[in-house]
Amino acid sequence: MTVTLADLSDRTGLAVLDHLEREVTVPVINGPQAQGDLIVIPHHLVADEALLAHTTWTEVPAEGIELLRGATGGNPHTLVADPGTCQWTDDFWDSAMLAIGALRATAPVYLLHPEHGATGLTPGTYLIRRQREFDHRSRRQRIVAD
Amino acid sequence: MPPAPGEHRWRQATEIRDEWLGWALSTRPADRAAAEAAISQLYRLIGHDEPQFLWVDSPAAAMPVIPAPPRFRAGTTPAAEAHRPVAAKLADLMTALRGNLDDRTGRPWARIPWRREVWRDLRLEPDLADLVETAVRDSLRDTVRDSICTPLRLALETIAGHALGLAWHGQHDAYWIAHYDAWRRMGGVSFAAADAARLDLWATLARSCGWWWPGEELCVIAERPVSVRTEPVPGGAHGELRLHDPHGPAVRYADGWAVHAWHGTRVPVWVTSGPTVQRISGERNVEVRRCAIERIGWDTYVDQARLRLVATSPDPGNPGSDLRLYDLPEELWGLRARLLLAVNGSLERDGQRRRYGLSVPADLDDPIAAAGWTYGLSGEHYAQLVRRT
Repeated sequence: MTVTLADLSDRTGLAVLDHLEREVTVPVINGPQAQGDLIVIPHHLVADEALLAHTTWTEVPAEGIELLRGATGGNPHTLVADPGTCQWTDDFWDSAMLAIGALRATAPVYLLHPEHGATGLTPGTYLIRRQREFDHRSRRQRIVAD
Repeated sequence: MPPAPGEHRWRQATEIRDEWLGWALSTRPADRAAAEAAISQLYRLIGHDEPQFLWVDSPAAAMPVIPAPPRFRAGTTPAAEAHRPVAAKLADLMTALRGNLDDRTGRPWARIPWRREVWRDLRLEPDLADLVETAVRDSLRDTVRDSICTPLRLALETIAGHALGLAWHGQHDAYWIAHYDAWRRMGGVSFAAADAARLDLWATLARSCGWWWPGEELCVIAERPVSVRTEPVPGGAHGELRLHDPHGPAVRYADGWAVHAWHGTRVPVWVTSGPTVQRISGERNVEVRRCAIERIGWDTYVDQARLRLVATSPDPGNPGSDLRLYDLPEELWGLRARLLLAVNGSLERDGQRRRYGLSVPADLDDPIAAAGWTYGLSGEHYAQLVRRT
């Protein structure tokens, strides 16, 4: 089954900006991919950094989960999945201190953003991280706002 | 679906917060009668006659006309006590009030936040204290005190040339008043009648005027600003705001006194009105430099400042786009620093792809490794990036 940006927008009621192509099939990908200031990482790549063995998972509801909002308060990254196919957790330790959560899916799931459009993930377990930059002054990292 | 049990309380706390936030951000002319009546009452509570009032258009305009406090030495005798300045007596009055209110709530306003968590699960009935502290106290402390009042105070100190003494902030005192107001309105506690009446006086001031300076016979009161420009704090879970306006003053008073801010950082006026590479080079404050560069755009800055290119590499997952790694001039930044310039994966509304610059550790020589670092990944893993949107 192919899914378009228009399908996801209709399903969630989330608007996307007009300049994005709404009828193109959203690619479903199994490798690392970035959407704005978020990155989706197959968990096996960072299994030593983020331990998920003892975490508690919760079902992703039909309306999706808002993962992160943009700097101006709008434009959320939203995780969208068919009911019963995806679980979410943010109850774990990420040694890079960048993870906002992890998901495990038994069917393709999608990340939707009003400006960046949509992208699909093949079934599997993924870590979602934010982006950081280095504050040379304080010699510490700080989170990048989209 | 029936509303979750915690949701009603949550909404109530949010409404109380937003009400006080509205007063803190108010740009309406002062309610002079209400402010003068409340201040007169506070004077009477410390055993003084009501003062004369002098209204000014801004806190800056108050600087030259604030009466000097009488000379006094702290003493323990009743006579010495009687000669303490009005401002000091008012400070005692307020401290005593807040102490009494804290005793009733059992949770002092200034409690060290050793356990601070964002409360999110609406299915749980939250502990009232946690709710008031997260949704009202912390939010308004961050927004009103730390993001508005403090930058104004610092700007004022540069005019005055010295640290400001005791001043009260009218609308900008809302941050602590709201906390106690939330406690009593949400049914968590009842205050002693006298304390409740005194809290009402401070609340009246927060709803009716700007900053004020109480002298022995003269009280100087500033009008509220005529414009306040803010933006939501990224990642703020409780409606936190910070000062921001890319084109003009973030806070402006009727007499023209203004404070400029870029995403919450107080900046000189040139950062918003006319940032140039030359001005950036001459700026000593690195935060101001960063704000000014962000204002003109990292890509423009890189072009105009002729930064030295360290390396360039195709961006994996972003066909046709390069990652470029630059040295930032050490003499400008005061230390070795590097900048990774990347390109967004998706088009902007105008059909352009936005370039953006990220600081990275200076020991990274490979653009792929630098890009990987920004996500906590090795260069090897980042090189596997399939797609960027």
